[in-house]
Amino acid sequence: MEQPGEKPVAGAEECGEVRGESQAAEESIEDRIRLLLRLRAQTKQQLLEYKSMIDASEEKTPEQIMQEKQIEVKIEDLENEIEDVKSNFEMKTLALNRMRLSAALTKNMEKMGAESSVLTDDMKHILKLQNLIMKSQEESSELEQKLLDVRKKRLQLKQTSRSKLLEIQTEKSKQKKDLDNMENSEVIKTMQKKLQMEIKITTVIQHVFQGLILGSKTNWAEDSALREIVLQLEKDLTTI
Amino acid sequence: MSVLRPMDKLPDLNAATILLVGTEDSLLQKLAESMLQDHCASELRVHLANSLPLPSTVNRPRIDLIVFVINLHSKYSLRNVEECLSHVDSSFFLGKVCFLATGAGQENHCSIHQNTVIKLAHTYRSPLLFCDLEVESFRAIVAQRLVRMLQICAGHVPGISAVNLLSLLRRSDSPPSKEL
Repeated sequence: MEQPGEKPVAGAEECGEVRGESQAAEESIEDRIRLLLRLRAQTKQQLLEYKSMIDASEEKTPEQIMQEKQIEVKIEDLENEIEDVKSNFEMKTLALNRMRLSAALTKNMEKMGAESSVLTDDMKHILKLQNLIMKSQEESSELEQKLLDVRKKRLQLKQTSRSKLLEIQTEKSKQKKDLDNMENSEVIKTMQKKLQMEIKITTVIQHVFQGLILGSKTNWAEDSALREIVLQLEKDLTTI
Repeated sequence: MSVLRPMDKLPDLNAATILLVGTEDSLLQKLAESMLQDHCASELRVHLANSLPLPSTVNRPRIDLIVFVINLHSKYSLRNVEECLSHVDSSFFLGKVCFLATGAGQENHCSIHQNTVIKLAHTYRSPLLFCDLEVESFRAIVAQRLVRMLQICAGHVPGISAVNLLSLLRRSDSPPSKEL
């Protein structure tokens, strides 16, 4: 492996530190105080980081060899944990600030008394608005309840109408089935056979009479009564 | 020592050190100069390196942030960075490592797909920045960003730590190569 080259580049000095002596010495003192405060904050933060590293290293890491997928899942779980802790912390800070604010406000109110008209006006306005909010919330919940009841009724009606329609449908289908059955029933079949038989017999009788009249060699077209009879005998009975 | 550890030295007062690792010296030099031009209340120190491990003969201060510069035009830079990653202690990856991919603007010169770099950054759970280091304005912007990140990682900003910043920079979408 070849020797890698490394070059440190000169750092930029912090600006505004060196001033001419003609400038007020107070400015440099102020700057120095600012620098010291900044350094203090820095060292605090760095100390916090080191402490947290020490705490973290005291925790035992699991030595077992896990598959890559499991490691990924575990890492994501830990990241989500970090997010949860952060959001909890934020919420707690918010709640704490709120409590502090209300405590300071109450202290202020007690102290100022009649002079704090602006504050009391604001507070009264806030109370009024909150009362209004509560009332409208109650009303809205009542309306929602009514809406829910109406919807339930509608659903019930729909269900009953559905069941009724179903009944009608079954009745109709039953009727239709009965009709079909009747058509296929035996009674009708025997009746139809009898009808056919009668029709045939009548047709035969018709032809016999026709034969009689034609065989008698009379001119049946002249006599109106005979003509009527012949025409009637021509009628085909199956079409009736 | 062949492995870089984040906390094995005490920090210098008001000083923050960043280590830029990459194969292209000119880009690193330009980036370093842009960073030093930025007005920052803390003292900045920029170290450049082509690959790890760093020679142990030099007495260097505690490194607060490592930036791996990957040039999307050359596969060698990616391989170099991947080799260097094994010389970094795992506790560095809690927010003190950043990947910087350059050259994404010229699509026809890119030999590494963006998804490769995205996947790499996702595996190491570190933030990934895209920047074209050749362009002056983009370089200045990314230098400002890096200076701010460096200040946080060095502990100069009260209230935010490197781990905090890492969870803030976390991408909510998983890398697209997972679907492949």
